Amino acid sequence: MTDQSKAKESRLYFKNWPSVSMGRTIGIVLLGFLVICAFVGPDLIGQDPAKQSLLDARKPPNSSHMLGTDHLGRDMAARLLSGAQLSLSLAILSVLTAGLPGAALGVLAAWRAGWTDRILTSFADAILALPGLLLVLMLAAISPGSWWALYIGISLTLWVEYFRYTRQRTRIVLAEPSVEASKLLGLPPRLILLRHIVPEIGPGLLTIAAFGAAATVTAVAALGFISVGVRPPTAEWGVMMTELLPYWREAPFLIMQPVICLVATVLALHLSVGGMHKR
Amino acid sequence: MIAIEVQNLSVFVINECLLGPVSFQIGIGETLVIMGETGAGKSLIAQAILGTLPKNLRMEGKILINGKNVDDIPESERSALWGREIAMLPQEPWLSLDPLMSSGRQVEEAHQYVAGLSPKEARRQTYEDLILLGLNGDEKRLPGKLSGGMAQRIAFAAATAGKAPILLADEPTKGLDSQRQSRVVELLCDVPKKGGTLLAITHECPVARELGGRLIVLRNGEVVEQGEMSQVLSDPQANYTKQLLAADPSTWPNSKPGRHGNEVLSARNLTINRGDKTLIKNLNLTLHAGERVAVSGPSGIGKTSLLDALAGLLRPKYGQVCRASGLGLYSVQKLYQDPPAAFPPHVSLGQNLRDIARLHDVSWGDVMNYLAALGLHEALLARRPDSVSGGELQRISIARALLVKPKVLLADEPTSRLDPITQRDTLDLIAEISRSEGIAVMLVTHNPEIAEKWADRSIRLD
Repeated sequence: MTDQSKAKESRLYFKNWPSVSMGRTIGIVLLGFLVICAFVGPDLIGQDPAKQSLLDARKPPNSSHMLGTDHLGRDMAARLLSGAQLSLSLAILSVLTAGLPGAALGVLAAWRAGWTDRILTSFADAILALPGLLLVLMLAAISPGSWWALYIGISLTLWVEYFRYTRQRTRIVLAEPSVEASKLLGLPPRLILLRHIVPEIGPGLLTIAAFGAAATVTAVAALGFISVGVRPPTAEWGVMMTELLPYWREAPFLIMQPVICLVATVLALHLSVGGMHKR
Repeated sequence: MIAIEVQNLSVFVINECLLGPVSFQIGIGETLVIMGETGAGKSLIAQAILGTLPKNLRMEGKILINGKNVDDIPESERSALWGREIAMLPQEPWLSLDPLMSSGRQVEEAHQYVAGLSPKEARRQTYEDLILLGLNGDEKRLPGKLSGGMAQRIAFAAATAGKAPILLADEPTKGLDSQRQSRVVELLCDVPKKGGTLLAITHECPVARELGGRLIVLRNGEVVEQGEMSQVLSDPQANYTKQLLAADPSTWPNSKPGRHGNEVLSARNLTINRGDKTLIKNLNLTLHAGERVAVSGPSGIGKTSLLDALAGLLRPKYGQVCRASGLGLYSVQKLYQDPPAAFPPHVSLGQNLRDIARLHDVSWGDVMNYLAALGLHEALLARRPDSVSGGELQRISIARALLVKPKVLLADEPTSRLDPITQRDTLDLIAEISRSEGIAVMLVTHNPEIAEKWADRSIRLD
């Protein structure tokens, strides 16, 4: 299938998606660049992000260290990329583990209604009553410094959003005459899901996913910054900010680097789904 | 004195002409009715006069309101005319009322901000308006709690609160049952009597006849005929006008009851509740193969609930619905009032039909045969439901129902949103299919003429 016919096909299913705007193009390109850098970059650079060399501490960018070195003489570029890998993989993982069950439970609640709906909704409301960061902090306290505590905590707080959105939209879709007609004509649940529900909730879910990924990246950095997330010497943007903060006057270009990376990632994620809602 | 003068109005999208050229004048105290099928460009005329044409459309010609050329005045000055000199009664007004504001308050706002009355004065005036319209006591209710006719009158009160002498009414009776329809027509007839000017757009002949005045018949954006109402209606010149008049249910020949087959569906002692309200009590009913039954009655009486119970979508409170032995799971099918709402909106029509054909082991060739028999072109299948006309879509939904070889077809006002010619064609088609395939059809309609002329027998719910 050629790219063009693919594009046509996807437009056929998601007619809510308008033609790509300027902002979205920038967002998608930036996001693509970041992802490629994060997963291919470390091998290209070939530097060990943990290798110290106190003689080379706080060097400005030069031929052997593209972005300079930090206070322990570690290569900044390698550390930033390794941080990007950590943040983005955590973001992708938690979006998947929060999004898939969240959306599935949302459809289930709307479809079954009655007690299934009541139990699932109360459970979601109960989770919503807990401040998200608090849950992550609690889990981090059980197992300090491990990334799986971060991952489980973030996923647990994020799934509620997918659930509530999916449940709400699905209820509206299921009440439409077109679904009634499809059921009378014998369309099985699988096809009702595929033809009626997925095209309706797809674009919205993608928006929530991008915002959720941005929230994850920020949360990981925030927890790293206050030293409850991943621990040094792991290269992580929040941890790097804490480490480099004392040197902000002598070497401002060092602390600027993780900050810029964080801002660019969040911006790219938000822009990539911006302007998606026509209605 | 001339209230609205339109000279050689044409509307284009890029270089394709959608409408025109149209020229007419309406004097103060006069009425002009524009008739024509859906998509004939009737609403474009109203939009051009108001200055609310979509941005991608280009207009040529000249429009004068009260002798003033409004084409080249800035948009802000033009919108200043709205409500004060020229008012618009929109299509399906229950959609244009604010759903979260009490209906009385919406009229009050118009008095206060458009007519410039003091809050106290506005409240008093609203009270008087609502008494006049027979709505006193309803001012606290939200639009969602009003019936279609009541919402139409609230919208009328709000639209005319600014005392604009010119009123544009776009399909004012669409979706209303016959009693409420005549109430709205009465209101509109009063406008010219009180010295106002009325421009009404409709596709229903009886409505046009009652409004009187002058008539313009449009087809594909072109004026087919123009003249005095009584003259055009009694002695139409153009072929299209003749067809349009002949399509009115009052002129239809009475149906000849055919031979009916076996019993296919029956209901015994059916009692149906929606919430706590009992809609239908102890109804007994039998449908035979090839039979055409009409169900009529005012809105909200439970016509749709009855169909739902017969289709097995709604559990009756008491009594039961029995299908004849040998009837399959999918032998009862429904047709819907709003054809686009009956199809999944994001999926092409072809995909929809392919899914159903695959499920029921119907070959694609047979699907094509059905479509051809219903006069549908294959090219329509590549489109989505919202880019196909209502009449074609309703025929596709008939074809879709035929794919599963139904024995009973429950049609819920399938033509109330179609123009008269399409309505007649569609109903003729349903009758023909019922006869040839031996399908029992139950038609819900608010039009007593259709119930009488089209069906073999009719059931009236009161």
